[in-house]
Amino acid sequence: MGLLENKFTDNIIVEKLDKLLSWSRSTSPWFFQFGTACCAIEMMAAAASRHDLMRIGIIPRSSPRQADVMIVAGTVTMKMALRVKKLYEQMADPKYVVAMGSCATSGGPYWQHGYHVLKGVDIVIPVDVYVPGCPPRPEALIEGLLKLQEQILEERPLTRKTG
Amino acid sequence: MSEDKEKIISEAVEKALQGDMDTINNIEDRVTRSKAKAALVKAKRAKVVSDEDSTKEDNASESKVEEKINFNQTLCKKISEKFSDSIDGDQNNDWIQLKPENWLKIAKWLKSDEELFFDSLQCNTGMDLGEGVLESRYNLHSMKHLHKVEIRIKVSAEKPDIPSVEQVWRVADWFERETYDMFGINFIGHRDLRRILLPDDWEGWPLRKDYEEQETYHGIIVPKVKEGWE
Amino acid sequence: MGVVHGQEMVLNIGPQHPATHGVLRLQVKTDGEIISEITPYMGYLHRCFEKHCENVTYEQVIPFTDRCDYLASMTMNFGYVVAMEQLMEIKVNDRVEYIRVIMAELQRIASHLLGIGAFGLDLGAFTPFLHMLRDRERILDIFEMTCGARLLYNYMWVGGLSHDLPTGFVEATLNFLDYFEPKVDEFENLLGHNKIFVERTADIGIMPAEVAISYGVTGPNLRGSGVKWDLRIDDPYSIYDRFDFNVPVGKGMKGTVGDCWDRFYVRIHEIRESIKIVRQAIDQLPKEGDVHQAMPKKIRPPKGSIYRRTESPRGDLGYYIESDGSDTPYRVKMRSPAFTALSVLNEIGAGWLMSDVLGILGSLDIVLGEIDR
Repeated sequence: MGLLENKFTDNIIVEKLDKLLSWSRSTSPWFFQFGTACCAIEMMAAAASRHDLMRIGIIPRSSPRQADVMIVAGTVTMKMALRVKKLYEQMADPKYVVAMGSCATSGGPYWQHGYHVLKGVDIVIPVDVYVPGCPPRPEALIEGLLKLQEQILEERPLTRKTG
Repeated sequence: MSEDKEKIISEAVEKALQGDMDTINNIEDRVTRSKAKAALVKAKRAKVVSDEDSTKEDNASESKVEEKINFNQTLCKKISEKFSDSIDGDQNNDWIQLKPENWLKIAKWLKSDEELFFDSLQCNTGMDLGEGVLESRYNLHSMKHLHKVEIRIKVSAEKPDIPSVEQVWRVADWFERETYDMFGINFIGHRDLRRILLPDDWEGWPLRKDYEEQETYHGIIVPKVKEGWE
Repeated sequence: MGVVHGQEMVLNIGPQHPATHGVLRLQVKTDGEIISEITPYMGYLHRCFEKHCENVTYEQVIPFTDRCDYLASMTMNFGYVVAMEQLMEIKVNDRVEYIRVIMAELQRIASHLLGIGAFGLDLGAFTPFLHMLRDRERILDIFEMTCGARLLYNYMWVGGLSHDLPTGFVEATLNFLDYFEPKVDEFENLLGHNKIFVERTADIGIMPAEVAISYGVTGPNLRGSGVKWDLRIDDPYSIYDRFDFNVPVGKGMKGTVGDCWDRFYVRIHEIRESIKIVRQAIDQLPKEGDVHQAMPKKIRPPKGSIYRRTESPRGDLGYYIESDGSDTPYRVKMRSPAFTALSVLNEIGAGWLMSDVLGILGSLDIVLGEIDR
């Protein structure tokens, strides 16, 4: 801060606008509950009373237009893959994707003979955080979301990138 | 459990074994009452087990198998008397092999006949027997008389036509759609035969033994790409 | 004044809706609010279970059966294992049987809790859902103590179990049952006798008994229509004939027999009956016995086929297994109860209002993983 240090009283904070934006985005990522299979039950359990997700600021929303994070929980099949792409395109920027469970990461236990299973959701949409497990515990999902928060905190949305 | 509760439970169980159920039913606390009832069942079971012989169990299961075989043979005879030339091949003990032609009439008779009364179709399985032969298997059950039968119908893979029984048992509607989806067996007379689990533009019949996965589906690669990870 | 008929509209209740039932698409033809036809479209979760079963060994099929009905994995394993043991004519010892029954009944309680909670959630009742999930977590703690997993257990193996009971299991279960038994009354009062819930479910979605049998509906849905049919008593497997329990049947207490309230009533009372069975089983549990005693070294069943049904929390779960003498199955078909329950939706749902239809779907308690396999 340099020049402006100690020039004002204690309840005024000076900070870059970049950091303020990324801090406020990271502490309230509302998630779009896209649960397909067993991992959806663990996602529901993570949002329920024992492992409370709302205390971190993460609230479930049912519509893609109102959400920031899409948690793809469960196996994505070929029939569903086209719809996943559509839903991702309906979300408003800035948007992030968490692939929860081994089925969304790489096809899971169905990767070998599953003709109808998409081997990883990153074939159709870009993914930020992968949470492994079959199904991952709610604590693992919370850790994945906290890692996503750290990622968002590092962003500089207003800085123009060169090169 | 405290001492008093144990005493109450053991007294109540003894009285009940002699035929007096009032003591158990009069216990006020519901948890204690249910524990007393559980202990009573255990005591009764202990009495019965000491009387029983293990050979009695074996005899019972053998007679069940014989009953089933007799029932199958009588049913086979009835079908061949009523609908001539329906049994396909030799009579077997565990199931009834039928020819596809008269299947709808036989199904209607099986459901409506008073002695047989097969009013529920439990399961319809498709099977690929190899060498270009497909089979459709039906497990029927009667909720009134509690007997069951398995019926098998063979067709060739070039012309897999079987009459549909969805008018007789409404559950066959979706069962037959699934068998069509997975094996390609064509059910004649089905009002809405289309794929149910796979997308409508999928190619091939997946559960046949000679199924090859298609290369791409709407631009997405279908087979597993990560070779060399075995 | 006559009735004004507008144009029929086709509405899509899309594959993505709040994650209780899963990815199901309903195409609904409505005239205003009144629905004239519902067509379910499935297959969005078709994970090729039957193709996988033909390529892996018999033991490796068990984790795949877990993932089909993920809310009741113990009973899915149970059904497969009972069918395999009948095919191979293996007899397990008493300790294994009692532990299997305890696990299956605890799983039934957990599954019904989630089913009823989701039913309330569909109608807008958020609080019972949270309360039921809280109690379900305690059951999952017991399961985690035994086999290490919260949701997909892979616990029952052909000829035995994967792990024996740990020390402290019996106390933990009895503590849980003592804590939980009064809560069932609380749930029944909170949700079942609530005036709004009764108005929204009584006399709605009536399923007559003949329609139910013809469409192959089984389990609590069939018992809600007044038919007393429970596979644990009418076609017994394992040691269910040693226990003393009732089978609740819908009586039309708040409306007609076979409406949504009856299906809810059957499930709540089944929780009570399962608590009774678990208490009796714990009392009669033999102290000695090796859970790995009857497990064959290599599972190679004789050539032949078998169809065996067991009672899962959703109804009649059947496995048709065909073996050709090698160590991988030739064909495994799972007859899932939720598949037939969904097929009756058009029959009982047509003619009601939009908001009733989601209640009817909730009362059928379907799980998409089992329907699509």
